[in-house]
Amino acid sequence: MAKLSMKKISMKYEKKLILEDLDLEVKHGELLVLLGESGCGKTTLLKIVAGIIHPEEGSIYVDDTEISDFSPQVRQMGYVPQAQVLFPHMKVKQNIAFGLEARRLTKETIQEKINWIANLIEISELLERYPRELSGGQKQRVALARAMSIEPHILLLDEPLSSIDATGRESLALTIRRIQKETSTTTLYVTHNGDEARLISDRVAVIYDGKIQQIGKVLDVEQHPKNYLIAKILGSPNIWPILYTKKKEKTILTTQICDIPIQKKISSKITGIKIPPSIISISKNQIVDSGFVVLKCYVKTMIEKNEDEYRLILDIDGNPSEYIKVDCSRNEYNNNITESKEVFIYFNPAEAILL
Amino acid sequence: MFSANLKKRARVDSGLNKSIIVLVILAFGSFLILFFYAPLSKIFQFALTEGNQLTFSYFIETITNPLNISFLLFTFAQAFLSMIICLILGIPAGYFFAKYDFKGKNLILNLMTIPFVLPAIVVLLGFIVVYGESGWINSIWTGLTGINSPIIEIFGTFEGILIAHVFYNLSVIIRMTIPAWKSVDIEQINVAKSLGASNWFILRKVIFPQIINYLVSAALLVFVYTFNSFAIVLYLGEVRFQTLEVRIYKLMKSSLDFNGGATLALIQLILNTIIIVLYLFFESRTRQMAEGKDGIFGNEKISFSKKNWRKNISMLLFITFIFTLMIFTFSPIIAIVIESFQPYADGISPFWGYQQLFSTEYMPLLSNSPLRLLLNTLLFATLTTILTLILSIFLVFVLRNRYQSLKKYRRSLTENFVSYIIILPMATSSITLAIGMFLLFNNTTIYLEYVWVLIVLTHVLISIPFASRSILSAYNRIDIEMLNVASTLGASRFRIFAKIEFPYIFRGIVVGGIFAFAISLGEFAASNFLVRGEYGTLAIGISKLIKTQTLQLPATMASILVLITIICFLVIQKFGDIELKV
Repeated sequence: MAKLSMKKISMKYEKKLILEDLDLEVKHGELLVLLGESGCGKTTLLKIVAGIIHPEEGSIYVDDTEISDFSPQVRQMGYVPQAQVLFPHMKVKQNIAFGLEARRLTKETIQEKINWIANLIEISELLERYPRELSGGQKQRVALARAMSIEPHILLLDEPLSSIDATGRESLALTIRRIQKETSTTTLYVTHNGDEARLISDRVAVIYDGKIQQIGKVLDVEQHPKNYLIAKILGSPNIWPILYTKKKEKTILTTQICDIPIQKKISSKITGIKIPPSIISISKNQIVDSGFVVLKCYVKTMIEKNEDEYRLILDIDGNPSEYIKVDCSRNEYNNNITESKEVFIYFNPAEAILL
Repeated sequence: MFSANLKKRARVDSGLNKSIIVLVILAFGSFLILFFYAPLSKIFQFALTEGNQLTFSYFIETITNPLNISFLLFTFAQAFLSMIICLILGIPAGYFFAKYDFKGKNLILNLMTIPFVLPAIVVLLGFIVVYGESGWINSIWTGLTGINSPIIEIFGTFEGILIAHVFYNLSVIIRMTIPAWKSVDIEQINVAKSLGASNWFILRKVIFPQIINYLVSAALLVFVYTFNSFAIVLYLGEVRFQTLEVRIYKLMKSSLDFNGGATLALIQLILNTIIIVLYLFFESRTRQMAEGKDGIFGNEKISFSKKNWRKNISMLLFITFIFTLMIFTFSPIIAIVIESFQPYADGISPFWGYQQLFSTEYMPLLSNSPLRLLLNTLLFATLTTILTLILSIFLVFVLRNRYQSLKKYRRSLTENFVSYIIILPMATSSITLAIGMFLLFNNTTIYLEYVWVLIVLTHVLISIPFASRSILSAYNRIDIEMLNVASTLGASRFRIFAKIEFPYIFRGIVVGGIFAFAISLGEFAASNFLVRGEYGTLAIGISKLIKTQTLQLPATMASILVLITIICFLVIQKFGDIELKV
């Protein structure tokens, strides 16, 4: 178990600054998800930690040792790149043994470690196969096993689920989480998918413009994102940027779906608004209540969330390019709503989250 | 946390890595300077100086000489026409091989490539046997019509040179355009069709822009090969037709006009460099486009349908066309082997040629016994292979040194520098290489006593672009990320090389090595220029005997070269793809 710290990391790519004075700390034994859109520099940061790329500026520490000048060979990082680059001419067993042989361990020790890691990651039956005989998910497990076999100080995972089909994703994500917990390996997990952060992270760090913009437990960040972009990167439902703010007797925020009046006083600049599905109610008839925002919608489709809850996706009347997500109970759905029929939704703007 | 031992090993590793790179650069650099740049500077010296004074008088004299101008124009004209004919014949053939899948396709394709890897002097001999004055075609013609004048004349005619060049280079176009057709994604065609585009429109707007770079680079390659053609033009061209390469040779060897020869060599070098740079430009663009997709054609079977008679006729024409090309390609090769068993006079055994290998009857003409020539040839080829491989691996190591590229995204300075300094050897013709060696070493013991060393070194210089290319193309298939992973797992530089890089480039090394062997085996121009005393090779022996009327012995010697070349070629096929490209 170790702590990873990055201090004032800067990196240019073709004269463009992709990382700028970036600071980040991954605590002992935690799994930190680094979340950002494609091209934001998250993979570069991972490679900098692995020692594959040298940053223009900044330093990296494992616990209190500065490793900035260490070669990748001695950093002892478990690096799993995005495409599962297994050594194609070696069997799974030899792939896992590669790092152990480089450490000149005895044959018995190597065999023991292979057995241990293969059991842990549940790939014992794959050991004699070649990479070409594996599915995407199996390859990723082997890549993980190879990285974990050297008992790394830090595990570095680059979009490990991106090339896995939908059905295998959750199971692999949970495997990663289980192994990380069991071995208490400090892990930096890079992805662009907010759902992965929700599924397995201890903390999430959102990156754009070359910097960490917000860091914290995923629920906290989700509920109180600092701005519209962070909420968007997290993939939160029902968020809209503010197009126009009118301030007279009360503030009116103009969004793509409607104007939203806000009672409370606003001091800082508002970039967006989030209307959580849970604060929206649904009705067959038009509601007349001056305090609520009411929208006429049509039921577009329905997704079953769990046994007695549905998530509805609704088209907004007169606004063909936007839709809104609303939760409702099975009972309510059965009693009130029919597909492609007109419904009304309403919410209290005071409950909306300003970003 | 980080063991002192591990850190120390990493330091040693990094130090070792740096010193290996320095050593490799030193070794490769000093080889090039000593045996390429120094000889080349000697040519510059003869062309541009007189008594340590810079002068352009030779230069002006050479380029204003009407004979030189006419030979220069001829060199361009024959290269251009050979290229056009190769394109006209090769593009449809490449299309056929890319589109259709049939039994024995690869074998036919491979056999059709053999002329390209055959020694030029062997090709020449095959040509003489088939198309020569008393060759097969003309004998059949006389037999059929009773007319005594030959239907084809290859000696001293423009068309003779063109036919031989097309025979030699056709496979370059065929082989290089197959990946062109395959580089176009079939889905693009499907999308274009669904958008209502006609076949002609699709060809013009979708396919052509994507294959043009392949066509241009293949064409330029044929151009550069024919531009520097030597053996074929030396014999078929007689006095009338000379390429620059032949002209330079004659100036140096017969007229002993060293200044004139050196000046012409310089002009040829400049022209070659321009063509090679153009070629490299277009070739790099083909690599940018080719990214493993499904080919345009799904390996269709050859079929005839009862309803569509127009399709049947075109298919039949196509097959006839390919069949004709095959006969055109194979006949000179088969002719050589048959000729070697053809008694040159009554009462001579069919095996006379093979028996002569062990006799010393032709010693006075050949300066050595045929067997010794064979042994010389094999020995030179072996030495060439070893040296070429060592230097090519060095070169690839410097070009793709990950230690540098690890730290930065951009291409390293060494990489840029090295890629520039190797263009020049690529653009230097065999005769120029030989002249440089001769001018630099002609009064030294190495030339007087050990000329074979210079011959081997010249072969090495000719082979390096081919061998390093084949190793490099194998190396480029390695995913850099794989090497990154290996280093994060703690593998040392040497370990990464031994366990990952080497298994990947092994095939490239085998193919490159065999290429070097085959090139040395049949190299004629440079060896013939440099050779002294008993150090002749089979190719030189054949050239001396071509002028005699008995073709049985040279055909025997050529058959041996054909046999060895075909074996080499089969091994290359087994190990990987043929890279005709430089």
